[in-house]
Amino acid sequence: MAALPKRIIKETERLSKEPVPGISAVPHDDNLRYFDVTIDGPAQSPYEGTLLPPFGGVFKLELFLPDDYPMTPPKVRFLTKIYHPNIDRLGRICLDVLKSNWSPALQIRTILLSIQALLGAPNPDDPLANDVAQQWKEDQNQAIATAKEWTEKFAKA
Amino acid sequence: MSSPEPIPPPNDRRSSRASSAGMDTADGILPVGGPPNDPSPLQIRASNSLNSKNRRSTIAKQPPDLHLLEYVSQPDSNLVCLICHSPFDRPVQLFCGHFFCRECLDHAWCAQQEGRKTCPTCRSRVDPEKDVRPVPKIIETMLDELVVKCPNAKSGCGWVEQRVNVNDHVMLYCEYTLVECAQHDCRLHISQKEFHKGCLHYTVSCEDCHTSMMKKDLEDHQRTACANRSTNCLHCDASLLRLDLKTHIKDACGKVITPCQGTIVGCTFTAERAQTNLHEKSCPMATMAPHFRDQQARIERNEARLEPLTRKVGILEDGLSSITNMLYPANDSASTFPVTNPWIPTSPTPSPSNLVPTPTSASRPPRSHPYPKTHRSPFTNPSHPFDSQVHHLLTLHESLRDEVNRIANALTDLEGRTNMMVMNESQRTKDDMLHTNAAINGMRHQLHWLISATLQQRNSTRTAANAASGSTSGARQGGSAARQGPSAGFHAPLRRLSDSTRQDTKL
Ligand SMILES: [Zn+2]
Ligand SMILES: [Zn+2]
Ligand SMILES: [Zn+2]
Ligand SMILES: [Zn+2]
Ligand SMILES: [Zn+2]
Ligand SMILES: [Zn+2]
Ligand SMILES: [Zn+2]
Repeated sequence: MAALPKRIIKETERLSKEPVPGISAVPHDDNLRYFDVTIDGPAQSPYEGTLLPPFGGVFKLELFLPDDYPMTPPKVRFLTKIYHPNIDRLGRICLDVLKSNWSPALQIRTILLSIQALLGAPNPDDPLANDVAQQWKEDQNQAIATAKEWTEKFAKA
Repeated sequence: MSSPEPIPPPNDRRSSRASSAGMDTADGILPVGGPPNDPSPLQIRASNSLNSKNRRSTIAKQPPDLHLLEYVSQPDSNLVCLICHSPFDRPVQLFCGHFFCRECLDHAWCAQQEGRKTCPTCRSRVDPEKDVRPVPKIIETMLDELVVKCPNAKSGCGWVEQRVNVNDHVMLYCEYTLVECAQHDCRLHISQKEFHKGCLHYTVSCEDCHTSMMKKDLEDHQRTACANRSTNCLHCDASLLRLDLKTHIKDACGKVITPCQGTIVGCTFTAERAQTNLHEKSCPMATMAPHFRDQQARIERNEARLEPLTRKVGILEDGLSSITNMLYPANDSASTFPVTNPWIPTSPTPSPSNLVPTPTSASRPPRSHPYPKTHRSPFTNPSHPFDSQVHHLLTLHESLRDEVNRIANALTDLEGRTNMMVMNESQRTKDDMLHTNAAINGMRHQLHWLISATLQQRNSTRTAANAASGSTSGARQGGSAARQGPSAGFHAPLRRLSDSTRQDTKL
């Protein structure tokens, strides 16, 4: 295996030394480019956990740094089922900075913060999961209720 | 791999070739080491590294990669490139005011879509011709003054200086920089300080410890690692084998600072070992120490032994509680189940020992009833152990098993009895048949006797008739008389005969 670029080593170190509140990213022992990520649903969103047990509201993701990272964006995917207009059934995320708007000046922590922000501000006009976005536009209250229900059901701590 | 690319020393025989291509050629193709079809290990290594494209051709003259340097102190975050996260290496400034390493920027643009070049930080469009400028002088100075370690620090170079000098150091002065071996057909590397010794890439054996290694490593081994070489103690200057150095420092060296043995009891005396030894003779705590150490060791041993036991107890408790849960779930509705307890007739107040039925409960009284009696438990308390369906089923199962056993026993018994009866019966039949046979034999004898008697009579009658030459009627009368004769005239012998046969049967 080619040596891990110094930048990835530095990012990993910083993620463990100065973790972002509500976000964790831990590399696999056998592949330091593959991270197990958890993101807490933001407060006042349907993805928020409860104050009392069983809490919940914790979403699991996987993150992979391709060989030419940071020149190409990391690949991120939700592993926990989530009802969100910009996240499809396979957990793929529709987020500009993960695609065309990627910049090598971004990093793992900024990307994960963007994903957390996306949970707080769904954007049904730029959908990935078409049916979810449709329901979101037609009856927002019902959609939010469904999102809450899914959070309770799937996003266990 | 933080070691730098090898640099040929000024006296390298290839330097003439290199200088003919120009020392500062950035992209001239220089054949380095070996025939063109046979890439040198250097080239292979270079093609594996991150920015291989830039390096493969000028590998032998490439200065150390500043991105891989180790900085002595954390550099100011304003001097760190957002792309490589290291202090800038030959930085440039975009018109928007953002700084990047030249190389990092080129890589980023290389990966971007065709013709679209933007600032990685603010995404404003960049015209590479006009918008890329040199950085202010002060930035360059600050970068130059960052203190770094020599990239060969791991091989033993202790050079630590400003970054601006690292290039010269590695290229010209560092003795640990690897270069290609002087021997033409040897493609291995050797540190610059040993280059003049010729090829050292052959295996030798250390004459002191008989470990085999390459010649180039031998000196280093003998100086720093060989266990059978003598060395000097850093503390007392005594000369001894490296092998013994550790134990010397730990137990014997008079100059090593050691605490009084009594520290474990509270003595705070600490001095060179020689003085400590003197002190210990008078220190009461030092005399107590061995005893305490013994106790300590014993306590530790016991704790070590206790730990697995605690774990085992935990496991057993878990198992017990899960068994209890399985048998008696704390379920109020369970109390409404009819509960079977075959043991209740003998023990109306069951003790915990017979809550769990065992197959070997021989003390149970025999019952003629083929099925266990079903009771409604007299204990209506919902927490009572019998108020459980599982327990109900278990006891039911147990009593059914007993019933089956009993039935099997009864069957065996019955079979035996039947066999006995059949045997007795057949014996009796056999006896009867013997009697019958005997009777038949007697009758046969009697018949025989009668027949012979009749024949005798007839013969005598015929002789008498012949002698008297009587009439035929007389003969017919005699015949009838003779025919009557045996029944009347020989009555006694017949009686006797039958008597004897009867006696025979009676025996
Ligand atoms: Zn850079
Ligand atoms: Zn900019
Ligand atoms: Zn050096
Ligand atoms: Zn050699
Ligand atoms: Zn040796
Ligand atoms: Zn010593
Ligand atoms: Zn003492």
